[in-house]
Amino acid sequence: MRLDLLGVVFRKEVADNLRDRRAVAMALLFPLLGPVLLAVTFSVVARQARSAEERPLTLPVAGADRAPHLVQFLRGAGADVVAAPPDPEAAVRAGDRDLVLVVPPEFGARLREGRPAPVRLVIDESRQSARAAVERARAMLSAWSRQTGALRLMARGVNPAAAEALALETVDLSTPESRAGLLLSMLPYFLVVAVFVGGMYVAIDTTAGERERQTLEPLLLHPVPRESVALAKVAATALFATLALAETIVGFGLVPAALPLERLGFSIRLDPAMLLRTFVLFLPLLLLASALQVLVAVRARGFKAAQASLSFLMLVPALPSAVLALVPFKLRTWMMLIPSFGEQQLVLRLVRGEQVAPGLQALSMGSSALYALLLVAGAARLFRSERSMFGK
Amino acid sequence: MIQLRDLHKSFGPVRALAGVTFDVADGRITGLLGPNGAGKTTALRILYGVLDPDRGSAAVDGVDLAGRRLEAQRRLGVLPHSHGLYPRLTAREHLRYFGRLHGGSGPALEARIEELAALLDMGEFLDRRTDGFSQGQKLKVALGKALVHDPRNVVLDEPTSGLDVAGTRAVRALLRRLRDDGRCILFSTHVMQEVSALCDRVVVIARGQVVAEGTPDDLRRSTGQESLEDAFVAAIGSEEGLG
Repeated sequence: MRLDLLGVVFRKEVADNLRDRRAVAMALLFPLLGPVLLAVTFSVVARQARSAEERPLTLPVAGADRAPHLVQFLRGAGADVVAAPPDPEAAVRAGDRDLVLVVPPEFGARLREGRPAPVRLVIDESRQSARAAVERARAMLSAWSRQTGALRLMARGVNPAAAEALALETVDLSTPESRAGLLLSMLPYFLVVAVFVGGMYVAIDTTAGERERQTLEPLLLHPVPRESVALAKVAATALFATLALAETIVGFGLVPAALPLERLGFSIRLDPAMLLRTFVLFLPLLLLASALQVLVAVRARGFKAAQASLSFLMLVPALPSAVLALVPFKLRTWMMLIPSFGEQQLVLRLVRGEQVAPGLQALSMGSSALYALLLVAGAARLFRSERSMFGK
Repeated sequence: MIQLRDLHKSFGPVRALAGVTFDVADGRITGLLGPNGAGKTTALRILYGVLDPDRGSAAVDGVDLAGRRLEAQRRLGVLPHSHGLYPRLTAREHLRYFGRLHGGSGPALEARIEELAALLDMGEFLDRRTDGFSQGQKLKVALGKALVHDPRNVVLDEPTSGLDVAGTRAVRALLRRLRDDGRCILFSTHVMQEVSALCDRVVVIARGQVVAEGTPDDLRRSTGQESLEDAFVAAIGSEEGLG
């Protein structure tokens, strides 16, 4: 190992790749995607929540004259009852109306007979934006139904409470943090992506790219230990990945500053101390990713092949989380030994403002560091191997 | 001084070298002549330390490649078979990078770069990125890389391939100059004119073995042929692969 020569190769790879627009764009622009997406999601969710609460419910009713009591009740509950379009179903299907309440001709007769009186609520269940309006309409209708039913029971001398077998009360335990955490569950994956994407072009350029340009053999015939060459390439890759990671983390840190999250009911922890802890937590994983990328790319035939392999590689860290998102699970200590999964779970808890035991973090970082060192040794070994360097 | 001893090398079922032995003396230009696929490049790649022989040894100034690879490589200046450049670096940055890899630094290295730029007539494109360089300009950068540490031994794999007449003449003049400094020059070629125009000594290899060795005159005499080309064909025993 020659550190001075490692430095020579490292500085050249960094200077060379800083002149590569693709490499710089990957390292500096791509990491902004996560924070921007999060900020957009937050502001959209917040606007929807606010508008659903503040705006009166506009409720088109067809045949309102057949149910004057119901309409009066709806108006009292805050609905703005308007005339329905001539073809309710077409209007909802076309998106002109969120919902239409249809009162059929037999409504009055059924109601007088004391039998369930039919009403039709025409909606499109798949339309997210109409969901709040539909929920409110449903709640109003069932409130009227209960009220009317209770009046009938009392008229027959029965306590209306007898019709209620359950006294259902929902206790919502989600804190503002955990509600925000639902949105933030994508944050850890963005960090992993930053760690992989930041150095991707550098890893390819300094290995498969070097082979494709026919500069690999001229480099390796120089009196430089092969492990110094391998390490310099991993280090250059890791430097670009570090830039990307730092940028992503700072970007996420700016989201709460840019949006009045507290006022919108979200309270999440993205303070400098937590962000710094996250950065440190991801460093061993970053080294692991860089070494793995160099290891894979150096075996590729050319730039394109390496690009395909590394793009696929980026999906792998998403798998454990994706699988476990479908199956409920409890975080166990041994899970910290799964690289990238441990980091993602810990960051998720940090963001939610939960306590993370230093021991768990140490275990996650330590195991990732160990895998990283093994991969670095593997990369150095590949650079020494005649077959993987010059095999045809 | 370069010594190759009984080099054997196979790539899977293909036997590239089957016992190649020859010496290259200082102050001489030695041509390694052979048809395509004879094993020239394989022998040179073993010599400059990117391939390991299955058997045999290679040494530069008495330093064995197998035992002390880095030290032997430091004594060699190489123009390899594939000599690509980094398109985003300038010619000067190439010379500086490879000079540093040979342990050079500071004003001494910068002065050496200026010296090479003058020697190879690179002034006009020295500070341009190599993207879009002509074949001749690329070869000058590659030659500059090979000579940046002022090596006593210079190995070139087909240095004039792809060059026009002026470029070829410039390379020949450079090789003569290096020889007159007392350096050890070994280059491979399959072009006959190159051998008669340049070489003090010729090593002919075919099918992974040395089949003839000596001055161009020796070669003509021993095969009883008038022209060097006929001597070459007689030496390798066929016209196959003649370029």
